[in-house]
Amino acid sequence: MPPPRRSFLSRALALAMTASLVAGYGTFGWIAGRFLLPTRATRRGWLFVADVESFRPGTTLPFVAPTGERIVVARRDDGGFMALSSTCPHLGCQVTWQAAERRFFCPCHNGTFAPDGRATGGPPFEAGQSLPSYPLRVASGLLYIEVALAAAAGSA
Amino acid sequence: MGRLATFFRQRLPLDPARLRELTNEPVPHHLKHWWFCLGGTPAYLFVVMIVTGILLAFGYEATPTRAWESVRAITEQAAFGWFLRSLHRWAATLMVAAVVLHQMRVFFTGAYRRPRELNWLIGMGLLICTLMAGFTGYSLVYEQLSYWGATVAANLSDGIPWIGGLLRTFLLGGDGYNERTLSRFFVLHGAVLPVTMVALIALHVTLIRLHGIAEMRFRRDEGSAPRFFDFFPDHLLTELLIGLVLMIVLCVLASVFPVPMGPRADPLSTPEVIKPEWFFYVAFRWLKLWSERAALLSLGAIVALMAAWPFVDGWIRRRRPGSEASVFVGIVAVVAIVGLTVWEAVVAH
Repeated sequence: MPPPRRSFLSRALALAMTASLVAGYGTFGWIAGRFLLPTRATRRGWLFVADVESFRPGTTLPFVAPTGERIVVARRDDGGFMALSSTCPHLGCQVTWQAAERRFFCPCHNGTFAPDGRATGGPPFEAGQSLPSYPLRVASGLLYIEVALAAAAGSA
Repeated sequence: MGRLATFFRQRLPLDPARLRELTNEPVPHHLKHWWFCLGGTPAYLFVVMIVTGILLAFGYEATPTRAWESVRAITEQAAFGWFLRSLHRWAATLMVAAVVLHQMRVFFTGAYRRPRELNWLIGMGLLICTLMAGFTGYSLVYEQLSYWGATVAANLSDGIPWIGGLLRTFLLGGDGYNERTLSRFFVLHGAVLPVTMVALIALHVTLIRLHGIAEMRFRRDEGSAPRFFDFFPDHLLTELLIGLVLMIVLCVLASVFPVPMGPRADPLSTPEVIKPEWFFYVAFRWLKLWSERAALLSLGAIVALMAAWPFVDGWIRRRRPGSEASVFVGIVAVVAIVGLTVWEAVVAH
Protein backbone atom coordinates (compact mmCIF):
# COMPACT_ATOMS: atom_id res chain seq x y z
CA MET A 1 0.00 0.00 0.00
CA PRO A 2 1.73 3.23 -1.08
CA PRO A 3 1.53 6.28 1.17
CA PRO A 4 -1.68 8.22 0.47
CA ARG A 5 0.10 11.34 -0.76
CA ARG A 6 2.01 9.40 -3.42
CA SER A 7 -1.13 7.58 -4.47
CA PHE A 8 -2.94 10.90 -4.80
CA LEU A 9 -0.09 12.40 -6.84
CA SER A 10 0.13 9.47 -9.24
CA ARG A 11 -3.63 9.50 -9.66
CA ALA A 12 -3.65 13.23 -10.38
CA LEU A 13 -0.80 12.75 -12.83
CA ALA A 14 -2.58 9.91 -14.62
CA LEU A 15 -5.72 12.03 -14.82
CA ALA A 16 -3.77 15.00 -16.20
CA MET A 17 -2.07 12.76 -18.76
CA THR A 18 -5.36 11.25 -19.91
CA ALA A 19 -7.01 14.65 -20.07
CA SER A 20 -4.11 16.05 -22.12
CA LEU A 21 -4.24 13.10 -24.51
CA VAL A 22 -7.99 13.47 -24.98
CA ALA A 23 -7.61 17.23 -25.44
CA GLY A 24 -4.72 16.81 -27.89
CA TYR A 25 -6.35 14.21 -30.09
CA GLY A 26 -9.68 15.99 -29.72
CA THR A 27 -8.10 19.15 -31.10
CA PHE A 28 -6.71 17.18 -34.00
CA GLY A 29 -10.16 15.70 -34.63
CA TRP A 30 -11.60 19.22 -34.73
CA ILE A 31 -8.83 20.33 -37.13
CA ALA A 32 -9.59 17.34 -39.39
CA GLY A 33 -13.29 18.20 -39.30
CA ARG A 34 -12.68 21.84 -40.20
CA PHE A 35 -10.39 20.76 -43.06
CA LEU A 36 -13.03 18.42 -44.48
CA LEU A 37 -15.98 20.77 -43.97
CA PRO A 38 -16.53 22.67 -47.24
CA THR A 39 -16.12 26.42 -46.92
CA ARG A 40 -19.35 28.20 -47.79
CA ALA A 41 -19.27 30.65 -50.65
CA THR A 42 -19.65 33.87 -48.71
CA ARG A 43 -18.47 36.24 -51.41
CA ARG A 44 -21.18 37.57 -53.73
CA GLY A 45 -20.65 39.48 -56.93
CA TRP A 46 -22.34 40.92 -60.01
CA LEU A 47 -22.02 38.82 -63.18
CA PHE A 48 -22.97 39.72 -66.74
CA VAL A 49 -26.10 38.00 -68.12
CA ALA A 50 -27.06 39.53 -71.46
CA ASP A 51 -27.44 42.88 -73.21
CA VAL A 52 -30.86 44.42 -72.74
CA GLU A 53 -31.33 45.23 -76.41
CA SER A 54 -31.35 41.61 -77.64
CA PHE A 55 -33.36 40.28 -74.66
CA ARG A 56 -36.90 40.40 -76.03
CA PRO A 57 -39.91 40.60 -73.62
CA GLY A 58 -41.63 37.25 -72.98
CA THR A 59 -38.46 35.18 -73.39
CA THR A 60 -36.25 33.43 -70.81
CA LEU A 61 -32.53 32.77 -70.54
CA PRO A 62 -30.93 29.93 -68.57
CA PHE A 63 -28.03 31.01 -66.36
CA VAL A 64 -25.61 28.85 -64.38
CA ALA A 65 -23.93 30.55 -61.41
CA PRO A 66 -20.27 29.72 -60.53
CA THR A 67 -21.51 27.59 -57.63
CA GLY A 68 -23.49 25.43 -60.09
CA GLU A 69 -26.83 26.98 -59.12
CA ARG A 70 -29.25 26.98 -62.07
CA ILE A 71 -31.18 30.20 -62.58
CA VAL A 72 -33.83 31.25 -65.09
CA VAL A 73 -33.66 34.90 -66.10
CA ALA A 74 -36.89 36.14 -67.71
CA ARG A 75 -38.01 39.41 -69.31
CA ARG A 76 -41.61 40.09 -68.49
CA ASP A 77 -44.05 41.42 -71.07
CA ASP A 78 -43.95 44.81 -69.32
CA GLY A 79 -40.22 44.98 -70.03
CA GLY A 80 -39.02 44.32 -66.44
CA PHE A 81 -36.58 41.55 -65.56
CA MET A 82 -36.70 38.76 -62.98
CA ALA A 83 -34.36 35.95 -62.02
CA LEU A 84 -35.57 32.82 -60.22
CA SER A 85 -33.69 29.79 -59.09
CA SER A 86 -34.93 26.74 -60.97
CA THR A 87 -34.09 24.50 -58.04
CA CYS A 88 -37.20 23.40 -56.13
CA PRO A 89 -36.81 24.44 -52.46
CA HIS A 90 -38.46 21.18 -51.37
CA LEU A 91 -35.85 18.54 -52.25
CA GLY A 92 -33.67 20.15 -54.89
CA CYS A 93 -35.14 18.91 -58.18
CA GLN A 94 -35.16 21.17 -61.26
CA VAL A 95 -38.48 22.85 -62.03
CA THR A 96 -39.73 23.39 -65.61
CA TRP A 97 -41.91 26.18 -67.07
CA GLN A 98 -45.32 24.96 -68.23
CA ALA A 99 -46.53 27.63 -70.64
CA ALA A 100 -50.12 26.28 -70.93
CA GLU A 101 -50.71 26.43 -67.15
CA ARG A 102 -48.47 29.49 -66.72
CA ARG A 103 -46.63 27.88 -63.83
CA PHE A 104 -43.35 26.29 -62.79
CA PHE A 105 -43.74 22.58 -62.15
CA CYS A 106 -41.53 20.27 -60.08
CA PRO A 107 -41.76 16.68 -61.38
CA CYS A 108 -40.52 15.11 -58.15
CA HIS A 109 -43.50 15.79 -55.86
CA ASN A 110 -45.81 17.88 -58.03
CA GLY A 111 -44.88 21.19 -56.50
CA THR A 112 -46.18 24.21 -58.47
CA PHE A 113 -45.10 27.86 -58.47
CA ALA A 114 -46.63 31.03 -59.86
CA PRO A 115 -44.68 32.98 -62.53
CA ASP A 116 -43.24 35.21 -59.80
CA GLY A 117 -41.90 32.17 -57.89
CA ARG A 118 -44.59 32.00 -55.19
CA ALA A 119 -45.50 28.39 -54.25
CA THR A 120 -49.06 27.54 -55.29
CA GLY A 121 -49.34 23.79 -54.69
CA GLY A 122 -47.69 20.63 -53.47
CA PRO A 123 -45.15 20.26 -50.66
CA PRO A 124 -43.48 23.67 -51.26
CA PHE A 125 -46.84 25.41 -50.86
CA GLU A 126 -47.57 23.54 -47.62
CA ALA A 127 -44.13 24.47 -46.28
CA GLY A 128 -44.39 28.03 -47.57
CA GLN A 129 -41.19 27.72 -49.66
CA SER A 130 -40.99 29.85 -52.79
CA LEU A 131 -38.40 29.78 -55.55
CA PRO A 132 -35.49 32.02 -54.46
CA SER A 133 -35.06 35.12 -56.59
CA TYR A 134 -31.88 37.04 -57.41
CA PRO A 135 -31.21 40.78 -57.63
CA LEU A 136 -30.77 42.11 -61.18
CA ARG A 137 -29.30 45.41 -62.35
CA VAL A 138 -29.12 47.19 -65.69
CA ALA A 139 -26.04 49.30 -66.34
CA SER A 140 -25.15 50.95 -69.71
CA GLY A 141 -27.58 48.66 -71.53
CA LEU A 142 -26.21 45.46 -69.99
CA LEU A 143 -28.01 43.15 -67.56
CA TYR A 144 -26.17 41.91 -64.44
CA ILE A 145 -27.13 39.37 -61.76
CA GLU A 146 -25.87 39.15 -58.18
CA VAL A 147 -24.94 35.58 -57.21
CA ALA A 148 -22.59 33.72 -54.84
CA LEU A 149 -19.17 33.37 -56.39
CA ALA A 150 -17.33 30.03 -56.46
CA ALA A 151 -16.32 28.58 -53.10
CA ALA A 152 -12.62 28.38 -52.29
CA ALA A 153 -10.92 25.75 -54.43
CA GLY A 154 -9.55 22.70 -52.66
CA SER A 155 -12.14 22.68 -49.94
CA ALA A 156 -15.02 23.55 -52.22
CA MET B 1 -22.65 -2.30 -19.05
CA GLY B 2 -22.80 -5.89 -17.81
CA ARG B 3 -25.26 -6.88 -20.52
CA LEU B 4 -23.13 -5.23 -23.20
CA ALA B 5 -20.04 -7.12 -21.96
CA THR B 6 -22.00 -10.37 -22.02
CA PHE B 7 -23.24 -9.59 -25.54
CA PHE B 8 -19.70 -9.25 -26.85
CA ARG B 9 -18.29 -12.14 -24.81
CA GLN B 10 -20.86 -14.48 -26.34
CA ARG B 11 -20.08 -13.32 -29.87
CA LEU B 12 -16.28 -13.02 -29.61
CA PRO B 13 -15.08 -16.37 -28.31
CA LEU B 14 -11.90 -15.00 -26.74
CA ASP B 15 -10.46 -16.27 -23.51
CA PRO B 16 -9.29 -13.17 -21.56
CA ALA B 17 -6.46 -15.14 -19.93
CA ARG B 18 -5.13 -16.35 -23.28
CA LEU B 19 -5.54 -12.90 -24.82
CA ARG B 20 -3.50 -11.45 -21.97
CA GLU B 21 -0.82 -14.05 -22.50
CA LEU B 22 -0.70 -13.29 -26.23
CA THR B 23 -0.46 -9.54 -25.83
CA ASN B 24 1.72 -9.55 -22.76
CA GLU B 25 5.08 -10.80 -23.90
CA PRO B 26 8.02 -10.26 -21.57
CA VAL B 27 10.13 -7.29 -22.68
CA PRO B 28 13.90 -7.36 -22.03
CA HIS B 29 15.07 -4.84 -19.50
CA HIS B 30 17.21 -2.83 -21.94
CA LEU B 31 14.01 -1.51 -23.59
CA LYS B 32 13.60 0.76 -20.60
CA HIS B 33 15.97 3.00 -22.56
CA TRP B 34 14.10 4.91 -25.24
CA TRP B 35 16.86 4.61 -27.84
CA PHE B 36 16.11 0.90 -28.06
CA CYS B 37 12.49 1.76 -28.92
CA LEU B 38 13.28 3.30 -32.31
CA GLY B 39 11.29 0.54 -34.04
CA GLY B 40 8.05 1.83 -32.55
CA THR B 41 8.82 5.39 -33.70
CA PRO B 42 8.42 4.80 -37.47
CA ALA B 43 5.31 2.73 -36.72
CA TYR B 44 3.82 5.68 -34.83
CA LEU B 45 4.81 8.10 -37.58
CA PHE B 46 3.30 5.71 -40.15
CA VAL B 47 -0.07 6.09 -38.41
CA VAL B 48 0.35 9.90 -38.54
CA MET B 49 1.14 9.62 -42.28
CA ILE B 50 -1.99 7.52 -42.90
CA VAL B 51 -4.31 9.89 -41.00
CA THR B 52 -2.93 13.14 -42.48
CA GLY B 53 -2.53 11.50 -45.90
CA ILE B 54 -6.20 10.47 -46.05
CA LEU B 55 -7.21 14.01 -45.09
CA LEU B 56 -4.94 15.58 -47.74
CA ALA B 57 -6.27 13.17 -50.39
CA PHE B 58 -9.70 14.82 -49.97
CA GLY B 59 -8.29 18.02 -51.47
CA TYR B 60 -5.77 16.65 -53.96
CA GLU B 61 -6.28 16.33 -57.72
CA ALA B 62 -3.80 14.10 -59.57
CA THR B 63 -3.66 15.80 -62.96
CA PRO B 64 -0.83 17.98 -64.29
CA THR B 65 -3.19 20.92 -64.81
CA ARG B 66 -4.70 20.79 -61.31
CA ALA B 67 -2.11 19.12 -59.03
CA TRP B 68 -0.02 22.15 -58.07
CA GLU B 69 -3.11 24.34 -57.86
CA SER B 70 -4.88 21.84 -55.57
CA VAL B 71 -1.85 21.58 -53.25
CA ARG B 72 -1.72 25.39 -53.19
CA ALA B 73 -5.41 25.51 -52.31
CA ILE B 74 -4.83 22.96 -49.52
CA THR B 75 -1.91 25.00 -48.22
CA GLU B 76 -3.33 28.49 -48.54
CA GLN B 77 -7.12 28.26 -48.56
CA ALA B 78 -8.42 25.12 -46.86
CA ALA B 79 -8.94 25.37 -43.10
CA PHE B 80 -5.82 24.02 -41.37
CA GLY B 81 -4.59 22.67 -44.72
CA TRP B 82 -1.12 24.15 -44.18
CA PHE B 83 -0.92 22.42 -40.80
CA LEU B 84 -1.97 18.99 -42.09
CA ARG B 85 0.37 19.22 -45.07
CA SER B 86 3.26 20.31 -42.84
CA LEU B 87 2.52 17.48 -40.40
CA HIS B 88 2.55 15.03 -43.32
CA ARG B 89 5.85 16.31 -44.67
CA TRP B 90 7.60 16.53 -41.29
CA ALA B 91 6.36 13.09 -40.25
CA ALA B 92 7.82 11.74 -43.52
CA THR B 93 11.18 13.35 -42.78
CA LEU B 94 11.23 12.01 -39.22
CA MET B 95 10.05 8.60 -40.42
CA VAL B 96 12.93 8.19 -42.87
CA ALA B 97 15.36 9.28 -40.13
CA ALA B 98 13.81 6.91 -37.58
CA VAL B 99 13.83 3.96 -40.01
CA VAL B 100 17.53 4.53 -40.76
CA LEU B 101 18.40 4.89 -37.04
CA HIS B 102 16.37 1.76 -36.23
CA GLN B 103 18.21 -0.18 -38.90
CA MET B 104 21.58 1.04 -37.59
CA ARG B 105 20.63 0.02 -34.05
CA VAL B 106 19.58 -3.46 -35.23
CA PHE B 107 22.80 -3.74 -37.23
CA PHE B 108 25.22 -2.71 -34.49
CA THR B 109 23.54 -4.81 -31.81
CA GLY B 110 23.57 -7.84 -34.12
CA ALA B 111 19.81 -8.28 -33.64
CA TYR B 112 19.49 -9.48 -37.25
CA ARG B 113 21.45 -12.68 -36.55
CA ARG B 114 20.05 -16.19 -36.70
CA PRO B 115 17.16 -16.92 -36.26
CA ARG B 116 16.04 -13.35 -37.15
CA GLU B 117 17.40 -13.09 -40.71
CA LEU B 118 13.93 -13.09 -42.30
CA ASN B 119 12.82 -10.14 -40.20
CA TRP B 120 15.86 -8.18 -41.45
CA LEU B 121 14.70 -8.91 -45.00
CA ILE B 122 11.18 -7.67 -44.19
CA GLY B 123 12.79 -4.58 -42.67
CA MET B 124 14.71 -4.01 -45.91
CA GLY B 125 11.39 -4.22 -47.76
CA LEU B 126 9.96 -1.59 -45.41
CA LEU B 127 13.00 0.65 -45.95
CA ILE B 128 12.57 0.46 -49.73
CA CYS B 129 8.80 1.09 -49.43
CA THR B 130 9.45 4.10 -47.17
CA LEU B 131 11.93 5.64 -49.62
CA MET B 132 9.59 4.97 -52.57
CA ALA B 133 6.71 6.54 -50.65
CA GLY B 134 8.92 9.57 -50.04
CA PHE B 135 9.79 9.82 -53.71
CA THR B 136 6.23 9.38 -55.03
CA GLY B 137 5.00 11.76 -52.32
CA TYR B 138 7.09 14.73 -53.34
CA SER B 139 6.37 13.97 -56.98
CA LEU B 140 2.67 14.60 -56.32
CA VAL B 141 3.14 18.27 -55.37
CA TYR B 142 4.07 19.00 -59.02
CA GLU B 143 6.74 21.52 -58.12
CA GLN B 144 9.83 21.90 -60.25
CA LEU B 145 11.60 19.34 -58.03
CA SER B 146 8.67 16.91 -58.40
CA TYR B 147 8.70 17.06 -62.17
CA TRP B 148 12.43 16.94 -62.76
CA GLY B 149 13.04 14.43 -59.96
CA ALA B 150 10.52 12.05 -61.49
CA THR B 151 11.94 12.60 -64.98
CA VAL B 152 15.51 11.95 -63.84
CA ALA B 153 14.53 8.90 -61.76
CA ALA B 154 12.55 7.39 -64.63
CA ASN B 155 15.37 7.95 -67.11
CA LEU B 156 17.80 6.46 -64.61
CA SER B 157 15.73 3.31 -64.23
CA ASP B 158 15.95 3.06 -68.02
CA GLY B 159 19.65 2.29 -67.49
CA ILE B 160 18.95 -0.87 -65.48
CA PRO B 161 19.82 -3.88 -67.66
CA TRP B 162 16.97 -5.90 -69.19
CA ILE B 163 14.00 -4.54 -67.22
CA GLY B 164 14.91 -0.82 -67.23
CA GLY B 165 12.83 0.22 -70.23
CA LEU B 166 9.80 -1.68 -68.96
CA LEU B 167 10.22 -0.16 -65.49
CA ARG B 168 10.31 3.36 -66.91
CA THR B 169 7.23 2.79 -69.06
CA PHE B 170 5.41 1.31 -66.07
CA LEU B 171 6.42 4.15 -63.74
CA LEU B 172 5.53 7.00 -66.10
CA GLY B 173 2.62 5.32 -67.87
CA GLY B 174 4.31 6.11 -71.21
CA ASP B 175 7.69 6.89 -72.69
CA GLY B 176 7.94 10.30 -71.05
CA TYR B 177 6.22 12.35 -68.37
CA ASN B 178 2.60 12.65 -69.55
CA GLU B 179 -0.87 13.44 -68.22
CA ARG B 180 -1.29 9.90 -66.84
CA THR B 181 1.97 9.94 -64.86
CA LEU B 182 0.65 11.77 -61.81
CA SER B 183 -2.27 9.40 -61.28
CA ARG B 184 0.24 6.52 -61.37
CA PHE B 185 2.27 8.18 -58.62
CA PHE B 186 -0.92 8.91 -56.69
CA VAL B 187 -2.07 5.27 -56.77
CA LEU B 188 1.41 4.07 -55.80
CA HIS B 189 1.69 6.64 -53.01
CA GLY B 190 -1.84 6.43 -51.67
CA ALA B 191 -2.75 2.77 -52.18
CA VAL B 192 -0.07 0.31 -53.31
CA LEU B 193 2.76 1.37 -50.99
CA PRO B 194 0.69 1.93 -47.80
CA VAL B 195 -1.14 -1.40 -48.19
CA THR B 196 2.17 -3.19 -48.81
CA MET B 197 3.65 -1.47 -45.77
CA VAL B 198 0.72 -2.41 -43.52
CA ALA B 199 1.21 -6.06 -44.56
CA LEU B 200 4.99 -5.91 -44.04
CA ILE B 201 4.63 -4.17 -40.65
CA ALA B 202 2.16 -6.88 -39.56
CA LEU B 203 4.68 -9.56 -40.60
CA HIS B 204 7.53 -7.63 -38.94
CA VAL B 205 5.68 -7.42 -35.61
CA THR B 206 4.44 -11.03 -35.82
CA LEU B 207 7.99 -12.28 -36.27
CA ILE B 208 9.18 -10.14 -33.34
CA ARG B 209 6.45 -11.75 -31.24
CA LEU B 210 7.36 -15.25 -32.40
CA HIS B 211 11.08 -14.79 -31.72
CA GLY B 212 10.76 -12.56 -28.69
CA ILE B 213 12.79 -9.35 -28.59
CA ALA B 214 16.52 -10.05 -28.85
CA GLU B 215 17.91 -9.57 -25.36
CA MET B 216 20.87 -7.26 -24.99
CA ARG B 217 23.45 -8.27 -22.42
CA PHE B 218 25.87 -5.61 -21.28
CA ARG B 219 29.15 -6.28 -19.54
CA ARG B 220 27.73 -5.11 -16.21
CA ASP B 221 24.85 -7.62 -16.53
CA GLU B 222 27.17 -10.63 -16.68
CA GLY B 223 26.32 -13.31 -14.18
CA SER B 224 22.94 -11.82 -13.30
CA ALA B 225 19.69 -13.43 -14.33
CA PRO B 226 17.97 -11.97 -17.41
CA ARG B 227 15.55 -9.25 -16.40
CA PHE B 228 12.22 -8.69 -18.07
CA PHE B 229 9.22 -6.45 -17.56
CA ASP B 230 5.62 -6.63 -18.77
CA PHE B 231 4.61 -5.39 -22.20
CA PHE B 232 1.27 -4.32 -20.81
CA PRO B 233 1.07 -1.78 -19.32
CA ASP B 234 4.75 -0.90 -18.72
CA HIS B 235 6.12 -1.00 -22.25
CA LEU B 236 2.89 0.29 -23.78
CA LEU B 237 3.18 3.34 -21.53
CA THR B 238 6.77 3.90 -22.70
CA GLU B 239 5.58 3.74 -26.32
CA LEU B 240 2.67 6.10 -25.59
CA LEU B 241 5.08 8.54 -23.99
CA ILE B 242 7.34 8.39 -27.05
CA GLY B 243 4.25 8.92 -29.20
CA LEU B 244 3.28 11.96 -27.17
CA VAL B 245 6.77 13.47 -27.47
CA LEU B 246 6.67 12.79 -31.23
CA MET B 247 3.31 14.53 -31.60
CA ILE B 248 4.63 17.58 -29.73
CA VAL B 249 7.81 17.65 -31.85
CA LEU B 250 5.72 17.30 -35.04
CA CYS B 251 3.31 20.07 -34.05
CA VAL B 252 6.17 22.42 -33.20
CA LEU B 253 8.00 21.65 -36.45
CA ALA B 254 4.82 22.04 -38.52
CA SER B 255 3.93 25.34 -36.84
CA VAL B 256 7.40 26.92 -36.79
CA PHE B 257 8.57 25.59 -40.16
CA PRO B 258 5.41 25.13 -42.28
CA VAL B 259 6.03 23.57 -45.68
CA PRO B 260 6.04 26.25 -48.40
CA MET B 261 4.93 25.98 -52.04
CA GLY B 262 7.78 25.60 -54.52
CA PRO B 263 7.54 26.99 -58.05
CA ARG B 264 5.07 25.13 -60.29
CA ALA B 265 6.59 22.44 -62.50
CA ASP B 266 7.73 23.78 -65.85
CA PRO B 267 8.44 21.04 -68.39
CA LEU B 268 10.30 23.60 -70.52
CA SER B 269 13.01 24.66 -68.08
CA THR B 270 15.10 22.71 -65.58
CA PRO B 271 16.10 24.84 -62.58
CA GLU B 272 19.75 25.84 -62.16
CA VAL B 273 20.17 23.89 -58.92
CA ILE B 274 18.13 20.70 -58.70
CA LYS B 275 18.41 18.26 -55.82
CA PRO B 276 16.21 15.46 -54.55
CA GLU B 277 14.92 15.25 -50.98
CA TRP B 278 17.74 14.90 -48.42
CA PHE B 279 17.26 11.14 -47.97
CA PHE B 280 18.28 10.58 -51.59
CA TYR B 281 21.44 12.72 -51.32
CA VAL B 282 23.54 9.56 -50.80
CA ALA B 283 22.34 7.91 -54.00
CA PHE B 284 22.40 11.24 -55.89
CA ARG B 285 26.06 11.91 -55.00
CA TRP B 286 26.98 8.28 -55.70
CA LEU B 287 25.44 8.55 -59.17
CA LYS B 288 27.53 11.64 -59.91
CA LEU B 289 30.76 9.88 -58.88
CA TRP B 290 30.70 7.09 -61.46
CA SER B 291 29.48 6.48 -64.95
CA GLU B 292 25.73 5.93 -65.02
CA ARG B 293 25.82 2.19 -65.59
CA ALA B 294 28.58 1.55 -63.03
CA ALA B 295 26.80 3.67 -60.42
CA LEU B 296 23.46 1.91 -60.98
CA LEU B 297 24.92 -1.59 -60.86
CA SER B 298 27.01 -0.82 -57.75
CA LEU B 299 23.97 0.74 -56.06
CA GLY B 300 21.99 -2.42 -56.80
CA ALA B 301 24.86 -4.57 -55.50
CA ILE B 302 25.06 -2.53 -52.26
CA VAL B 303 21.32 -2.87 -51.63
CA ALA B 304 21.54 -6.62 -52.36
CA LEU B 305 24.47 -6.95 -49.95
CA MET B 306 22.51 -5.06 -47.28
CA ALA B 307 19.60 -7.46 -47.71
CA ALA B 308 21.84 -10.54 -47.66
CA TRP B 309 24.04 -9.31 -44.79
CA PRO B 310 22.60 -11.59 -42.04
CA PHE B 311 23.55 -14.60 -44.18
CA VAL B 312 26.98 -13.18 -45.15
CA ASP B 313 27.63 -12.35 -41.49
CA GLY B 314 26.56 -15.87 -40.46
CA TRP B 315 28.98 -17.36 -42.99
CA ILE B 316 31.85 -15.18 -41.70
CA ARG B 317 31.10 -16.04 -38.07
CA ARG B 318 30.99 -19.75 -38.82
CA ARG B 319 34.48 -19.59 -40.28
CA ARG B 320 35.87 -17.17 -37.70
CA PRO B 321 33.80 -17.40 -34.49
CA GLY B 322 33.63 -14.17 -32.52
CA SER B 323 34.50 -12.09 -35.59
CA GLU B 324 33.49 -8.45 -35.28
CA ALA B 325 33.66 -7.87 -39.06
CA SER B 326 30.07 -6.58 -39.09
CA VAL B 327 30.97 -3.73 -36.72
CA PHE B 328 33.71 -2.50 -39.09
CA VAL B 329 31.48 -2.90 -42.14
CA GLY B 330 28.80 -0.96 -40.27
CA ILE B 331 31.16 1.87 -39.34
CA VAL B 332 32.39 2.15 -42.94
CA ALA B 333 28.78 2.20 -44.19
CA VAL B 334 27.68 4.89 -41.70
CA VAL B 335 30.72 7.06 -42.48
CA ALA B 336 30.07 6.67 -46.23
CA ILE B 337 26.35 7.48 -45.89
CA VAL B 338 26.90 10.50 -43.66
CA GLY B 339 29.89 11.66 -45.75
CA LEU B 340 28.07 11.48 -49.10
CA THR B 341 24.95 13.13 -47.63
CA VAL B 342 26.94 16.03 -46.19
CA TRP B 343 28.96 16.36 -49.40
CA GLU B 344 25.79 16.62 -51.49
CA ALA B 345 24.26 19.04 -48.99
CA VAL B 346 27.11 21.58 -49.06
CA VAL B 347 27.85 21.80 -52.81
CA ALA B 348 25.58 23.24 -55.48
CA HIS B 349 26.35 20.72 -58.21
